[in-house]
Amino acid sequence: MATSTLRPAPLTRSSRPPRTERSRPLSVLGRVLGYLVLIAASAAVLLPFYWMVMSSLKTNNTVFTAPIQWVPEVFQWHNYVDIFTRSDMTTWLKNTLILSVVVTFLQVLTGSFAAYGFSKTRFPGRDALFLTYLGTIAVPWQAYMIPQFILFSKLHLANSLWSIIALQAFGAFGVFLMKQFYETIPEELSEAARLDGLSEYGIWRRIMLPLSVPALASLTLLTFVNTWNDYLGPLVYLRDKDLWTIQLGLRTFISQYNAEYALIMTGSVLSVLPIAIIFLLGQRYFVEGIATSGMKG
Amino acid sequence: MASQTIATTQAARRRRGRLRRRNALVGWSFILPNFVGFAVLTLVPVIALFYLAFTSWNAFGTAPWVGLDNFTRLIGDTSFHTSLTNTVYYTVFHIPLTLAASLGLALLLNRKLRGVAFFRTAAFFPYITSIVAIAVVWNMLFSPEFGPINQLLSFLGVQDPPGWTTSADWSMPAVIIVATWREMGYYMLLFLAGLQTIPPELYEAARVDGANAWQRFRNVTIPSLRPTTFLVMVLLTIGSFKIFDLILVMTNGGPGQSTLVLSQFIYQKGFVENQFGYASASSIVLFAICLAITILQFVVNKRRER
Amino acid sequence: MKRSQMTAVGVAAAVALSLAACGGGDAGSDDSGSAGPVTLKISGWALNATPEFQALADGYHEENPDVTVEVVEYRDGNDYDTQIISDLAAGTAPDLYVLKNLNKLWTFQTGGQLLDVSDVAGELDGDVSGVDSYEIDGKTWAIPYRQDSWLLYYNKDLFDAAGVDYPDGSWTWDDYADAAETLTAGLGDQGAKGTYQHSWQSLVQGFALAQTPDADLLSGDYSYLEPYYQRSVDLQDAGAQQTYGTVTTSSLTYQAEFGTQKAAMLPMGSWYIGTLLAQQENGEADDFSWGIAPAPQFDDSTTGTDNTPVTFGDPTAFGINPAIDDAKLDAAKDFLTWVAGEGGATVLSELGVTPALTNDAVTETFFGLDGMPADDLSKFAFSTHDTRPENPVAAETASVQSILNDAHSAIMSGSSSVADGISEAEDRVASEVGLG
Repeated sequence: MATSTLRPAPLTRSSRPPRTERSRPLSVLGRVLGYLVLIAASAAVLLPFYWMVMSSLKTNNTVFTAPIQWVPEVFQWHNYVDIFTRSDMTTWLKNTLILSVVVTFLQVLTGSFAAYGFSKTRFPGRDALFLTYLGTIAVPWQAYMIPQFILFSKLHLANSLWSIIALQAFGAFGVFLMKQFYETIPEELSEAARLDGLSEYGIWRRIMLPLSVPALASLTLLTFVNTWNDYLGPLVYLRDKDLWTIQLGLRTFISQYNAEYALIMTGSVLSVLPIAIIFLLGQRYFVEGIATSGMKG
Repeated sequence: MASQTIATTQAARRRRGRLRRRNALVGWSFILPNFVGFAVLTLVPVIALFYLAFTSWNAFGTAPWVGLDNFTRLIGDTSFHTSLTNTVYYTVFHIPLTLAASLGLALLLNRKLRGVAFFRTAAFFPYITSIVAIAVVWNMLFSPEFGPINQLLSFLGVQDPPGWTTSADWSMPAVIIVATWREMGYYMLLFLAGLQTIPPELYEAARVDGANAWQRFRNVTIPSLRPTTFLVMVLLTIGSFKIFDLILVMTNGGPGQSTLVLSQFIYQKGFVENQFGYASASSIVLFAICLAITILQFVVNKRRER
Repeated sequence: MKRSQMTAVGVAAAVALSLAACGGGDAGSDDSGSAGPVTLKISGWALNATPEFQALADGYHEENPDVTVEVVEYRDGNDYDTQIISDLAAGTAPDLYVLKNLNKLWTFQTGGQLLDVSDVAGELDGDVSGVDSYEIDGKTWAIPYRQDSWLLYYNKDLFDAAGVDYPDGSWTWDDYADAAETLTAGLGDQGAKGTYQHSWQSLVQGFALAQTPDADLLSGDYSYLEPYYQRSVDLQDAGAQQTYGTVTTSSLTYQAEFGTQKAAMLPMGSWYIGTLLAQQENGEADDFSWGIAPAPQFDDSTTGTDNTPVTFGDPTAFGINPAIDDAKLDAAKDFLTWVAGEGGATVLSELGVTPALTNDAVTETFFGLDGMPADDLSKFAFSTHDTRPENPVAAETASVQSILNDAHSAIMSGSSSVADGISEAEDRVASEVGLG
C-alpha cells in the first residue's frame, strides 16, 4: 500500500491547503502515472462486466467456449428485444424497484433512529442488546431459513412482497453502521443542543441526520444494492409469477436440460445499469464535506 | 440539619432514578421501531435455531430432543474439521487483504480528481456484477490451459505455474483473490463515508506541527477512522466466516474438499442431507466463533477509545 | 432486561416447539365439495423452458373437464428442493408434487410428506418402468411419469470425416475409448475432440454402479469405481476429451460442445434428445446428422442388439402431499394413473420427453418427430435398455453421494490419483457415515 504518497483530500472548498506542494513537473508526471494506473485498474475491474455485455450479444451455444471468445462473431442485438417479448422483464423490474425502494427507506429510517438510541442514550442492558443485534448477523441464514419461513407462513406474510420487506428492512446492519458513525460526532454538539432546549428526537433530526449524510448515503447504496441483487430471499418467499424479482426471473432461462445463457447475460446487464446510475448519482455525497461543515460552529 | 441532608440526598437519588428511567425510556423509544421488526422476524427464528440444535429435526414434523448428540458428533466429524480449517484459512488472509485494499482505494479516491465518480463506480462494480459472471470470468482467467494469468506467469519465467481452481493447493488462494477483488469496493464505500467525518482542522493542525504525509496518516487518519475501522473489521470477520455464494459458484468446495467452508457444510447437511438439527448445531459453532471474535474486538475498541 | 430476555427465550422456544410440532397444515382447504369441479395443484419448475408440466395439466383437464389442474411454478435445479422443502415444512405445498430426484424419496417419505399410493401402483400397466424404485417397506410412495436413461449420442458427419465406423451396439467402454482416440486423431485439423464427458459425478459413478456386477453404494467398498475413473483420466490425458479443468474453468456446456460439433460423441441422458431437436431447429446447434447408440457396456456379456444393454437413469415421479383435502384425493390418484399411463405418455413423447411408459406407440411417436434419426440402432438404443436407478433409496445415500462427489473432483482434476481418491472416500464413508 503506497500510503506515503497519499495526501488526504481537501475536504471542504474553504480549507484547501496546498501550501507544501512539490515542484510542478514531478507532480504532473505523478498525476499522469496515477491516471494510467487507475485506468488500468478500472479495466481489470470491469473485465467481468465487459464479458457480460459481450455474452449478452452472443448465441447461447457460444457463451461458454474454450478458449474464451471476447468478441462475438455475429452480434445478436435482438437479445435485447427478445428478453422483453419473451419474459415478464417489466414486471420483474417493477417488483425489484418497489422492494429496493421500500426496504431501503425503512432500513435507513429505522436503522438510523435505533442507532441513535444505541450510541447517544444510556440505559442498562444497552450493550447486551446491541451485541444481540450483532450476534444475529453472525448466524448463517441458511440455518434458520426454514424456521423463519414457517413463522412467516403462520403470519400470512409468505408469498407476498411484504415478506421480503419484512425480511430485509429491520436487519441489524443499518443499526450497526449508523451507530458507528454517530459515535464520531462529538458529544459536545448534542450537549449544546440539549442546553438550547432541543429534545432527543430534535437532536436526532436536526443534528445527527444532517451530519451523517455520507453514512446515510453509503447505507442507502448498500441496502439498495443488496435488495436489488438478493436471490435467496425471493427464492424462498416469492412463488407467484407476478411477484418475481429480476434475479428470480432471470433464472427461468436456466433449466436442467437447456440454459439460455445469452439471455441471462442480457438480463444481468439490464439489471446492473440502474444500480450503476444510482451509484454514480449517490457517490457525490462523499466529497462535499457535508459531515464536517456543521461542526465548526 | 441532618434530616435535611437526608432529604436532599433522597431527592437527588429520586431525581437520578427518574432521570435514569426517563433515559431508558427515551433510549428504548429510539430502538423500538427497528427492534419490534427485528425481534419478531429475526430474533425469534434465531432463538428457535438454538433449540433445534439440540434435536434431530428434519424440517418436517416433530423435533425429537437429542441433547448434546449433535455437538459430540461434530467433534468427531472430519468434514466439519476440514471446513473449519478452510474457513479459518480463508478468513486469516481475506481480512487483512481486503482491509488494506479497501482503505487504500478509499484514500486514493477521497480526493478531488478528474473522473473520480467513474473510478469510484468502477471500484464498486465487482460488487454489483452478477456473481455468476464473476465466477465464469475469473475461472477462465485462472484456467491452467488457456488462462491469461498463467500465460503471464510463464512469460515471466515461472516454471510450473499453479493450477488455481483445478488444484487442491491453489484453489483457496484463487478464491481469496477473487473475494478480495469483489468486496474491496463495498468496504471502500464505508471507509469513504468514514473519511468525511474527519475534521479538516486536524490535518491543518498536524501540518502546522510539521507532520509529513505518513505521520498525518498515522496520527490523524487512523485514530479518527477508528469507529469505521471497527465497523469494517466486525463486518469483514463475520462476512468471512460466513462466505458462501462465491465459493458455491466458483469451486463448489472442490477440488476434493479443498475449498469446503462452514456455510457450505451447513447447507449440505441441511438442504441436501436433511439433517437440519445437525446443521443448526454447526451453525451455532459458527455463531459462537464469530461472537467471540466480535466481543474481543468490541472490548479492544472500547479500551482504545479511552 | 434479565426478565425480558427470559421472556424472549420463552416465546422463541414456544414458537420453535409449535414449529416443530405442526408440519403440514392448512394447504388448500378452500376448494371442497364431494363430486363437483375440483382444482388440483401440482408443482412444476421453470415452466418456460420445461413445457411438460403445463402440457400434462392441460392434457388431463381435456379428458377430465371436471378437474382443473393448476401448475405452481418452482425453480429448477437444487433450488427446487430448497423451495419444496420450505413449502412442505410450512404446510403450503401443492396437492401433488414432483420428486425431482429419486434420492429425495427417503427424505420425504421418512419425513411423513408422502401418501401411500400402492393402490395406484397396483393398477398400472406393467410397461411403466421405475415404479419399484419408489417402494419403501413394501409400499409405493410416488408414481413415475418420466424415465430418463443414459445413451451415447454420436455425430455421424464427424465419424465419416474421421473415417471411423459408427457404433454398432457392440461397444464396451474400452471400444468407446479406442474410438474416441482414433476420432481425435482423425479430426485434428477440424479442432474437434473424440468425445465430451461432462463434469458430473454421475457420468462416471452412475455407469460404474449400474454396470459393475455386485457393486453396492452402501457397502463402503468403492473399488468398482477404479476402472471407470482410470479410463476417464486416460481419455483426458490422451487429449481425446477436454480436461476436467477446462470443462469447469471454462464452464463448458454439453449442449454447445456436441451441438456445435466440438466433440464427435457424447454420453448423456435421453433428455438431450428434445433439446438437440429444438436447437437444430432454431439454429443454436449446427445442422449435422446424428444417431444414438446404447451406452457402452462393462463387458461383452451385455453388448449386441440381441442383448439388453445396462444403463442408468433416474425416474421422475409425482407424490401426493398428505395435507391434501380428502375431497380431492380420488382426483389426485386418478391424475397419477393418467400421467403414468397412455395419456401422459402421449403428451410427453410429443414434446420429446421420455415417458415412464415404454411401448411401441411411444417409440413411434418419438421417431416421428422432425429431425430424429431413422436408423435401426437409434430405435433399438431408445427402446431397449435395463435402466438402473442412479442411487439406492436409503438413509445414507445423500451423505455417501457427497463424499463421492469430493472424490470425483479430486480425481478428475488430478489433485489425487485414482487409487488415493477412492481410498480416501472409503475412509471418510467409514468414519462419517459408518459404512464398510
